Amino acid sequence: MLREDTSKYLPLTESTYYIMLTLVKPLHGYAVMQKIEEISNGTVKVGPGTLYGAFTSLEKEELIVKVKEEERRKSYVLTPKGKKVLMNQIKRLEMMTRNGLSVIDLL
Amino acid sequence: MEENTIRKIKWFWSWQDEQEEAWLRNMSQKGWHLSSVGLPCIYRFRAGEQRDYVYRLDYQTFPKKDKQEYQQLFRDAGWEHIVEISAWQYFRKEVKEGEAPEIFTDVESKVTKYKRVLAFLAFFVVILIAPLPAIWGDPPYSWSYSLWIILRVISLLAMGVFMYAIIKIMLRIRQLRKL
Repeated sequence: MLREDTSKYLPLTESTYYIMLTLVKPLHGYAVMQKIEEISNGTVKVGPGTLYGAFTSLEKEELIVKVKEEERRKSYVLTPKGKKVLMNQIKRLEMMTRNGLSVIDLL
Repeated sequence: MEENTIRKIKWFWSWQDEQEEAWLRNMSQKGWHLSSVGLPCIYRFRAGEQRDYVYRLDYQTFPKKDKQEYQQLFRDAGWEHIVEISAWQYFRKEVKEGEAPEIFTDVESKVTKYKRVLAFLAFFVVILIAPLPAIWGDPPYSWSYSLWIILRVISLLAMGVFMYAIIKIMLRIRQLRKL
């Protein structure tokens, strides 16, 4: 298999990052919005315009895929490529946090 | 026309969507709620109780099947889809707890919306440029020269308007990115 370069997708915007986090399991749009608000303690809100745009471009880039459709609600889940992108983003964030914590005493 | 509806004619350029949203909200606060929009720039309002509705505009074109998914997503999030006119999607939602709801919650997605408008405008500029070489040649045999001149002026004016709109929207994107 060809090694795909996922770095062009990084860094993800905060909204896209949270959207992808929720899609480790299949979820439809409204559930994604609710879940994001819940896991971010209400600090991150994703509006339907932003979410629809993200779904469209993530699907086009094959980072997510449609898995189910009921009553006009479509569920999406991460593809293997999407998982790889998310994994690399998490590693980046982890390094950022570690670097931040190393200077936190000086602040 | 029914007594409890009014019609207003007002022109908004495609980079003035936020002014348009503010105007519609103001109308609802006075008890006039948007019921439809028709070309050219005719807004119909229905009388009702005074309400603080926030209006938001998206710009989207899609196949019918995707449209259902799109509208369902907004409905689930509490937005009422009022009308679609030349790809502009009008939504409204009532303000609760003083916080104005948004359909776009980050700068990037707002920028992407304006990029969709840009793509449409650019398409029109191409359409207007295509016949220019022909228009700059001699008029067809049966045409009067003055008619030919009028055609040139109209096509140049139209192109000017589209170019101006493109510049305005690009400036809007730049302004958004600076925030």
